[in-house]
Amino acid sequence: MEKQDKIKILYVDDEINNLTGFKASFRMNYNIMIAVNAIDAMEHLNSNPDIRVIFCDQRMPGKTGVQFFEEIRSRYPKPIRILLTGYTDIDSVIDSINLGNVFRYVKKPWTDADILGAINEANKFYVSNSLLAVKNEELQRAYNELDKFSYSVTHDMRGPLLSILGAIEAAQHMENISEIRDMLMMMKTSVRNLDDFIQSIHDYYNLNRGELEIKQIDFKELVEEQIRIFSFTYLVSDVKFNTSIIQKETFRGDELSIKLILNNLLSNAFKYQKKDNKDKFVDLNILVENGSAIIEVSDNGVGIAENLLGDIFNMFFRANSHEVGSGFGLYNVKVAVTKLNGKITVDSELNKGTCFRVTIQNK
Amino acid sequence: MSAPFPHFIIIDDSQLDCFIAEKIIQNTGTFSSVKSYTEATDALESIKDLGEKIDAVTIIVLDIQMPLMNGFQFVEAFEQLPSEVQSNYAIFMFSSSINENDKNRMENYPSIRRFYGKPISKDTVARMIEQL
Repeated sequence: MEKQDKIKILYVDDEINNLTGFKASFRMNYNIMIAVNAIDAMEHLNSNPDIRVIFCDQRMPGKTGVQFFEEIRSRYPKPIRILLTGYTDIDSVIDSINLGNVFRYVKKPWTDADILGAINEANKFYVSNSLLAVKNEELQRAYNELDKFSYSVTHDMRGPLLSILGAIEAAQHMENISEIRDMLMMMKTSVRNLDDFIQSIHDYYNLNRGELEIKQIDFKELVEEQIRIFSFTYLVSDVKFNTSIIQKETFRGDELSIKLILNNLLSNAFKYQKKDNKDKFVDLNILVENGSAIIEVSDNGVGIAENLLGDIFNMFFRANSHEVGSGFGLYNVKVAVTKLNGKITVDSELNKGTCFRVTIQNK
Repeated sequence: MSAPFPHFIIIDDSQLDCFIAEKIIQNTGTFSSVKSYTEATDALESIKDLGEKIDAVTIIVLDIQMPLMNGFQFVEAFEQLPSEVQSNYAIFMFSSSINENDKNRMENYPSIRRFYGKPISKDTVARMIEQL
């Protein structure tokens, strides 16, 4: 075993003979540090934050072992403290537990087995303690994330609702029926946005909690479904929707994730069109061969500014304020692609258009 | 002689919210003009263009969460403008919800007068005018 891999143990005793004897007995298995007094011990503790176990003699000139432990406890809480003592009056036992918060008590003269046993137990305790600390940290981090998440979600859900509330308020003072109709149209958009948002949270939840369900994928069928979903959109906003599917082999994958990828990419492509453009189009090309599926969604819409491209897959990020987005869509796409061990790339130019390309492997 | 009614600038990425705010303000009758922007950068440009030429105080109804340039970023840019320009405006922040972080952040910007919850109402408009 390399020296740095060995568990670090500190032994504090005013008798040099004890120290050298201790070191000689255990240095093969452990990285033993010795100190003749509290000052030397502090030095070791300062330069070795990873010391796991401290043995300390109770009877030392100037300071007892219990006093020493009591002193270092708050500054160095991690090492496990073990007291060595020759005499066993009940008061010093009580003190060592209550003041020094010792883990074990080893009687002098010790045997190798006493020490080895104590080290073993102490090390187990140390490991589970630090594991707990790591878990706690993870939990705290997850909790903070959840906090941010729920704030953003409440904000995004209340937004459209309060808009509608405001619209109702304003409409109550309106006499002009066409003005009220305009208002109703906008309220409808608001309701739709809220519904989309709730749907995307549902997707988010499914993606993060759900297991993959691998089955045969018929891309033609999937695309036909998307054509049905978007048929109203492309008719109303006069966008040409071209699809091409070449599936040369059977493909196995998680249908839910693939649907989600298709739906989000297409929905963005239809949404971020240039209003005044005469030939608006959305192209969907799927090629399945050599064990992988390449899905390409391109449009000649508003595009994404180059400096924002790096952020588009981040949760709640929105690169455009003309259309209402949840900031969830591409994040979900990214999660889905990652879950399928695939990759996604994007090419975009402001005012020219955007092309997303997803590659996923056959399972 | 009483002061002229204030101008209003609404900055909110939601078109509906802009529209509502415009209607509510127009219904109060206590305004010189109302204009709305769905992008904070556009509002900032027009404030710069206008400079000091302004006949009445302008109330800015500012949403916090917006893509590209959010409410705070707008205020930061606004506070870089010459003080003669800044003094013509009174900024009020609006949001559907607010966390402690945003609340504390608001205190760092002297130009933010107050925060109100959405939606904007007749009362809010009256109270903003009272604070001028």
